[in-house]
Amino acid sequence: MLNYTNTITEKKSYSGLQMTEIKPIMKLIVRGKKREFLSAVGKSLNLLLPTGANTSSTSEKITALWLSPDEWIIYSNQISKSDNNDYETENLLNNNISKINLGAITDVTDQFVLINLKGDKIFDLFETGSPFNFNEFRNKKGSVAQTILAKIDVIIHNLNQNEVNLFVRRSFSQHLFSWMNDSASRL
Amino acid sequence: MFVINCPYCGEREQSEFKAGGEAHLVRPKQPTELSDDEWAEYLFMRKNIKGIQFERWVHTHGCRKWFNMVRDTSNDKIKAIYKMGEKPPTK
Repeated sequence: MLNYTNTITEKKSYSGLQMTEIKPIMKLIVRGKKREFLSAVGKSLNLLLPTGANTSSTSEKITALWLSPDEWIIYSNQISKSDNNDYETENLLNNNISKINLGAITDVTDQFVLINLKGDKIFDLFETGSPFNFNEFRNKKGSVAQTILAKIDVIIHNLNQNEVNLFVRRSFSQHLFSWMNDSASRL
Repeated sequence: MFVINCPYCGEREQSEFKAGGEAHLVRPKQPTELSDDEWAEYLFMRKNIKGIQFERWVHTHGCRKWFNMVRDTSNDKIKAIYKMGEKPPTK
């Protein structure tokens, strides 16, 4: 991630809810359909892409989220370097996937903002602004949903009981964060 | 407002989707040989049925995939949902 002005500058804490941006995190969008594509990604990363709808898979270093039957987002579990946009995983996939036309790898590190939410009121907050039914989602560790929160497209990854990672496009992140703060303050 | 069972993601609320109009329109094989009226018929004229209609929908705010739906336009009851390229149900 390169150095520029960030839209979210502080951690916020409410009773039963803490929100903070985690950065820099490497994020890649991976697209492909063929069977060879899936096995090539699996071999390169030592991690099988999840093929079940709304699921994820994780290894020591990275996590892959299912977005659609031919699209995944891969992000690093630990924060990465802040001085450049050069990632080992991306280079590896570029060589093993893009260059031989098996699929497409796109660096979306600076496109998405990762907001980490903790606490037992996360889903109370989501329910104030999303049409998605979180009843099953909240009890299933590792489940993924792409939906709308306050009319903004978000990707939600259920890490654990009471911990969620939320991806939002950078241009919407400031507005969404301020909406979440406003909403959280009156839960 | 109604719930749509996306063939890829499962049940989601209608606001996540966009409607794409009538389904199973076939592009004429030789457009150059058509009269303007026949071309306009293909391009613009839609049935807009009150009752059972075959439609295309897209899960814009989810998986961004297109699919087909058979919907009763008078009461928004969904009769069938099937993926693109699949044959429409006969009944």
